[in-house]
Amino acid sequence: MRGFGAFLIKELREIARTWRIWVLPGIVLFFAISGPPLAKITPELLGSFVAEQPGVVIQFPDPTYVDAYLQWTKNLQQIVLFAVIIMFGGVISAEKRSGTAALALTKPLSRTAFVLAKFVSQTALLAVTVVVGALATWGLTYAVFAEAPLAPLAQATATWLALGVMILALMVALSAAIDSQAGAAGLGFLGFIALSIATLWSPAVEHSPAGLLGAPTNLVMGKPVTLGWPLATTFALTAVFVLVAVAVFRRREL
Amino acid sequence: MTAAIEIAGLTKVYGEKRALDGVDLNVSAGSVFGFLGPNGAGKTTTLRILTGLARPSGGEARVFGRDVVSATNEVRADIGFLPDVPGYYEWMTAPEFLRFAGSLFGLGGRVLDERVEALLDLAGLAGVRTKVGGYSRGMKQRLGVAQALINAPKLLMLDEPTSALDPIGRKEVLDMIGSLGGRTTVFFSTHILSDVERVCDTVAILHEGRVVTQAPIGELKSRYGTSKLVVGVTAGADALAARLAAEPWATEVSRRENGALEITVADLAEARRAVPAAVAAVGVGLTRFESGEVSLEEVFVDLVGVER
Repeated sequence: MRGFGAFLIKELREIARTWRIWVLPGIVLFFAISGPPLAKITPELLGSFVAEQPGVVIQFPDPTYVDAYLQWTKNLQQIVLFAVIIMFGGVISAEKRSGTAALALTKPLSRTAFVLAKFVSQTALLAVTVVVGALATWGLTYAVFAEAPLAPLAQATATWLALGVMILALMVALSAAIDSQAGAAGLGFLGFIALSIATLWSPAVEHSPAGLLGAPTNLVMGKPVTLGWPLATTFALTAVFVLVAVAVFRRREL
Repeated sequence: MTAAIEIAGLTKVYGEKRALDGVDLNVSAGSVFGFLGPNGAGKTTTLRILTGLARPSGGEARVFGRDVVSATNEVRADIGFLPDVPGYYEWMTAPEFLRFAGSLFGLGGRVLDERVEALLDLAGLAGVRTKVGGYSRGMKQRLGVAQALINAPKLLMLDEPTSALDPIGRKEVLDMIGSLGGRTTVFFSTHILSDVERVCDTVAILHEGRVVTQAPIGELKSRYGTSKLVVGVTAGADALAARLAAEPWATEVSRRENGALEITVADLAEARRAVPAAVAAVGVGLTRFESGEVSLEEVFVDLVGVER
């Protein structure tokens, strides 16, 4: 694993000094900040729209902190996961295409260290971004609704993060194998669709990462959730994807 | 002394194409070695195998006695490498890039500070504060040579370091390479013959994936170069040319731009006796009579068999 520390420092500095610091954090913070006020005014907006329709009467319940938390989990499960798939589709192949990988890897930097530093740094970016987003959602929810229990939000966010890191590991593996960022992202979307379809089959929900797709929403709504197998299989698949990324990248010619 | 590079029977196959077809090469430690060949001859492929970026299909390659396939990190610790198109993290400045490169070799503290400062001076980039993304091609190549020297390598490998540079940038990079002679082994691939003549002491010529010759430049010229004579006369050069062309020892007679005759000869001793006699017989005045220098380009064309 020679060169891991030096390359990890480079990766972290690259995140801080390039577009990477703006895109994913920007998306997450936008939805974290806009979610609670949107949850507050959505019933009023819908009510005013319905009031303009003659003969239609719909009663909307008063919004609560749960609605704000649901906005957060819904955005994590869709938009943020899509952003992860698109952004990280080129996490390794971009360095191969630009020639920076060739320059770095002709020094005593092992390919294993190269891949692991990529995974660790991007996991740190994702984790810090999501934790900061969750804290923003929590603070704004309290400001808007005067009630914001931390536990359901923390559990939902942590559960999603496990799934998000697994998708990130999948993208690292795909990016190690495929030179095209669009190609890797396309396969990543296929993986996401397969996971979504698996949620229709209860054994998959109980025993695979598919169970984590709906878990954040259920946790926020206070519904019972079984997390043991889904988390265990998610961690195992994360490790498998990283190992595959290392094995594939070690065999590739640059 | 262990050779810097030993290559035996090296092959590389891409599908149907044999990029390298049994390359044999030996680079002595301390030499400035020119690896010459036309585009597509296999120079970059050879360098990619030596640096571990590609795997050979057959044969073996060693750097300071270590196999490049099984001892990748040990080999890389001893080399500095500049690819033909170096890719940089364009958000870094030159000092930042050199520090990053040094950190991959485990360098740090005062040693790294001193090397970064010295290499920035050598590359003419001291005081440049802009990010690498804003550099000219010449600045990038000079930074490329500097980063390849950050570990004080025993072997410096440069892939076409001057091919895309303007004359000033080319001179600057060649001066940098020339200044390294005697301090480290330099293995320098190029298709520009004059660059090799200018900085290298030994040369190998690669053609269609095979090394067609390897020797010190002087020996190569004398081994493959044909003897030439240059003759200048006051008038009647055409009549003299016609007379000389009929001689059995003259294989070719041509006119240079300045009007002098360039005679390619098969028997130099006989030619030296016969030319003054021919000048006298034609009845013209002799203004110049000297040996013509054989260029590496002529050797190259002779070996590769293609006019370039």
